[in-house]
Amino acid sequence: MFVSEKNLFKRPGKKAGQRSVNKSLVLLFALLTSVFFVGGAHAEVPNATPPKGTHSGEDVPQPIDFPHDIHADINGINCMYCHTYARRSKVAGIPPTSKCMGCHSIIATDKPRIQKLTEYWENNEPPEWNKVHDVPDYVHFTHEKHLQRFVFNNEGMDVANVSEVCAFCHGEVKEMTVAEKVKPLNMGFCVRCHEQNGGPSDCWKCHK
Amino acid sequence: MSLKNILENWSDYRRTAEDGGHHDYEHMWAMAIDLNKCTGCNACSVACYAENNLPTVGKKRMMKGQGMHWLRVERYWDEPDMGGDEKEYQERGGSFLPMMCQQCNAAPCEPVCPVAATYHTPDGLNAQVYNRCIGSRYCSNNCPYRLRYFNFYSYYEESWPEPLNMQLNPDLSVRDKGVMEKCTFCVQRIRVGKDAARREGREVHDGDVITACAQTCPTEAIVFGDMMDKSSKVSKIWAAHEVELGKHEQHKSDPDLRGYRVLEGLNTDPCVTYLERVREA
Amino acid sequence: MSGNDINRRDFMKFMGLGGVGAATLSGCDMPTTITLEEGKEKVVAYLAPEEYAIPGIGVYFASTCQQCPSGCGVHGRIREGRLLKLEGNPKALNGRGLCQMGQASVQSHYNPDRIMQPMARKGGSLQPVSWEEAWQIMGEKVSGVDQGRSAWFTGTVSGHQSKLLDALNQAWGSKEHYVYEAVNNAVGEAVNEAVLGDAVPAYRLDKAKSILSFGADFLGTWMSPVHFSREYVKFRTGDRGVLVQVEPKMSLTGANADLWVAARPGTEGVVALGVANVLLTKHQVNGNSLTKAALDLIAEYNASKVTEISGVGGDSLVRIANYLKDNSPSLVLSGESANNHANGYQNAMAIMMLNVLLGNVGKTIEASNSMAFKDLKAKRGNSRALLDFAKAIDAGKYDVVFFMGANPVYTSPSHLGFADKLAKVPFKVALSMFLDETTLAADLVLPLSSPYEEWGTTVAPYQPKNAALSMSQPLMNPLSPETKSLGDILLSMLKHHGVAGYAGYDDYYSYLRAALAGMPASVKAGKSGDEFWSASVQRGLINAPSSPGSLKIKLGDIKQPGYQANSGFPMHLVPSTNQNMYDGRNANLSWLNEAPDQVSKVFWDSWAEVHPKTAAKLGVKEGDFVKIESDQGAIETQIYIHKGVHVDVIAVPIGRGHEEYGRYAKGVGVNPLKILSPAEDAESGELASYATRVKVTKTGHSADLSRLGGSERQVGRRLVSTVAASVFRRVEGA
Repeated sequence: MFVSEKNLFKRPGKKAGQRSVNKSLVLLFALLTSVFFVGGAHAEVPNATPPKGTHSGEDVPQPIDFPHDIHADINGINCMYCHTYARRSKVAGIPPTSKCMGCHSIIATDKPRIQKLTEYWENNEPPEWNKVHDVPDYVHFTHEKHLQRFVFNNEGMDVANVSEVCAFCHGEVKEMTVAEKVKPLNMGFCVRCHEQNGGPSDCWKCHK
Repeated sequence: MSLKNILENWSDYRRTAEDGGHHDYEHMWAMAIDLNKCTGCNACSVACYAENNLPTVGKKRMMKGQGMHWLRVERYWDEPDMGGDEKEYQERGGSFLPMMCQQCNAAPCEPVCPVAATYHTPDGLNAQVYNRCIGSRYCSNNCPYRLRYFNFYSYYEESWPEPLNMQLNPDLSVRDKGVMEKCTFCVQRIRVGKDAARREGREVHDGDVITACAQTCPTEAIVFGDMMDKSSKVSKIWAAHEVELGKHEQHKSDPDLRGYRVLEGLNTDPCVTYLERVREA
Repeated sequence: MSGNDINRRDFMKFMGLGGVGAATLSGCDMPTTITLEEGKEKVVAYLAPEEYAIPGIGVYFASTCQQCPSGCGVHGRIREGRLLKLEGNPKALNGRGLCQMGQASVQSHYNPDRIMQPMARKGGSLQPVSWEEAWQIMGEKVSGVDQGRSAWFTGTVSGHQSKLLDALNQAWGSKEHYVYEAVNNAVGEAVNEAVLGDAVPAYRLDKAKSILSFGADFLGTWMSPVHFSREYVKFRTGDRGVLVQVEPKMSLTGANADLWVAARPGTEGVVALGVANVLLTKHQVNGNSLTKAALDLIAEYNASKVTEISGVGGDSLVRIANYLKDNSPSLVLSGESANNHANGYQNAMAIMMLNVLLGNVGKTIEASNSMAFKDLKAKRGNSRALLDFAKAIDAGKYDVVFFMGANPVYTSPSHLGFADKLAKVPFKVALSMFLDETTLAADLVLPLSSPYEEWGTTVAPYQPKNAALSMSQPLMNPLSPETKSLGDILLSMLKHHGVAGYAGYDDYYSYLRAALAGMPASVKAGKSGDEFWSASVQRGLINAPSSPGSLKIKLGDIKQPGYQANSGFPMHLVPSTNQNMYDGRNANLSWLNEAPDQVSKVFWDSWAEVHPKTAAKLGVKEGDFVKIESDQGAIETQIYIHKGVHVDVIAVPIGRGHEEYGRYAKGVGVNPLKILSPAEDAESGELASYATRVKVTKTGHSADLSRLGGSERQVGRRLVSTVAASVFRRVEGA
């Protein structure tokens, strides 16, 4: 059942230029915004050493090109406004369609992406998203515990900066449109972070 | 945990009484099974199938002893303490024994694993890490209770034809060919209980965690709990019957107290105490 | 989507495939779907979830198990819109526990062989059709049927479904509702009714200090085994009562007895008379409660006569009498192996006589509480219904028959020629979840939703204390939108037939809501209709005020036939009921096929149990195939040998030997019910299923028996240690 770890480092060929252009644009944008919002984009997470490691995977097409940047960065919406289960459950959860419609029955209703969303809603049929971040089935990962450690039970941590904690494993999602996997999320990545931040090292804490 | 770390520290929580035993563990999960209450109804075994994604292997493989019943109810016809073998009929019925992994503190399965896939947790559990397991089966050969089960085939291919697969419990994995597995004391339920207590900023209370077998037992013959909690039901039963962890034989104030551990003399130090079956002489 | 109760249902509707789809893909953990590469799995969010629907966190909802007629309350664990596991509802009669059948009922719900859409017979075979077409066929075939020429043949039914069925039958001018259970307690109920005036009194195992059970397997299959198991623990702790079991083949209850006594099948009543004889002579028990005729008869049954007829030794009679006398109050029960004989009623009457003689009535046998909802009461099944129905269809009495919750083509003995007689019925409708033998004989098949997909109410047939109505609610979306609940089908039929008072209900759910809202204020305990509905669905139970009834004692005549040997067919066939297969309905569940039988530990096949002496006489060893032949036919199966069978008996469990019924059941094992000889109990008209004589011969074939491996002996390892009851009472007694 167990996928060999070398698959984790497989780098499938991809359209090279496109991504780097996007990246530099986003970086420029991020630099600009950080000037205006002090303590915003790249705030420090206290009492934590962010895990190291990078990953470069495939672009994942989605039924709707959801712009994380517009929501999380430009409009400054907290990650947990939509991924509301993260603080309570092992999964962060894709927001229910009703949540999207809570705003978008009024906002930006003329945009093609919103029209597509409205179509899904009216057909009583939620969109089928393609999963970007995944761990193997023998891994027990819980968002709730990690958020407790790094956000809610972390002295000096402002919940408004939660995206910096999310970024440990998900990268700077607020600089992306649809999410990309930019961290390896393999055992070495997890274990190094656990060692640096005092996480448990018992096998059965994370393996099921 | 680095490989070096594993090789050096895998036996951290495998302590003899002389080394201080389990007394600084976080928890010490244990069971007490009253054979006076157990009727041999088998509900525990089927509940275990439902909870732990146990595959059905079919008649042929079951006959080869490849059944994956983490909990099996054994039935014996003889009664060594009572005699009566010469009688024409089975006058005192059968003797039932629900057997699941005894979570031995000195587990014979642990030291023989070449890759440290089985080890002792800070909860006093005998853990099996599926993704570390390479299928040497040394552990199974070394288990005196025959309570480890090996995936000789990819049982998942046939065991859950759609839509039966929708019943699979997402809290634990479905094991593939080449992996050893066994009763975990429903570690996924222990996790839920501990997480809930932590969220509420309190200790785990007795009764917060209950294994699937103990939960469904119609006669509540199986009691599960934490031996570190002296007020837990299971601690009280062990104490009342004068069975202690860390011993290979028990010295009791009254020899008629019913508690005993199966094959205790092998010094496996199991975490399951059985209370003797009772019959009119 | 705000408010309280109605949302539960909207949630089910709105969640659509979304929740389920997400679960199958992200939660199932099938190794083949493992991928760490992004974009390889789908994840589907809820459309508009309720507050409690949090992915990754299981929530519990109450419902009712329908895997056997006991009607246990359950809590189902739901995650990502899927039902994962069942636990007992602590507030229900069964408490937090469930038996193996209940645990395995999720496999019935998710069974790969479920019928997912209506089917109709076209050109000789069943073909899938739409509901529209199914209703159209129903309209053509059923509407024109004359009054009284239609009938229902069902298993145990209760609650509002039963009420609707009554209404439908009334509208059709037909009272013909046959309620059939192959495993039943009908003879015992008839005797209870005659003697006590209460067919199902409360058996207080918890109050008894000794129990003498003639084949009542109350820990395995008798009436409400999970409830009785709970009571059994109270009986066995503290001063620990004594359990004696008298039966031809060791049941699960027998395997837990302090004294297990083998009696020749059919002679249980004689044993009861023998015990009474010892009680009156040796223990000078006051016989004033019995008539002179009864006392005279008992006097005839001295030890030597009883031994001659039943094979039970005089020493056993004395031990039983001593246990009963020394451990008062006692309780004497009669079950399947005593009741299901040509003299079954007389057996049960003689056994009831012991209760009267020992003064148990009113002490350990109490009146059941009168049920507040008379029209919702369980219609308990019996086997006379099968015999009566077979006669009626043979006479061409019906043009249309509806089948639901019973599989008579499988459970009926060959001598009834049931399948041939059934062919004489012009139009047969089966409401079913599975293509079992009976469903396959139907002309129209209406697919039922599973008990965990539908609304409904259940009244357990055994209601010892507070009368309760157990709620069923959908625990998840139906696997197929084409399946319908019994309640919905009945309601549609009522509406189609234009019966007054039903037009206003959109579906069975709205009917049930209105029905509960209309319950008397005493039941609703001051709650409004909506509040009461929410509370009922949440608790899973509605308790109704009930008044204790009373019992009379009017013992009938007691008589017993002598033992008739049969030289052509010297052995007795015991078609035993075992908890995992039950009456055959569980044969399509892989967990219960793989679960070894409680006593023999055989799995995935049939077997025949014989005593070592009998095996020696037949010249067979474990695993040998034998031919078991009655005057009605023969079956062949493998031998299992143990000392829990009477020497004149060969016991073959019922439940296997299906010709159809899905991949796990079809072609596995043999069906001993097929070779039963024609015999009925004279007084009750019940099928005497234990009255068949057989001849057993070795076939010469042999194979390993599929039995849980290893030694059946402890060889000195102290695996199960036993202590004497006197020691237990000294150390742990109250």
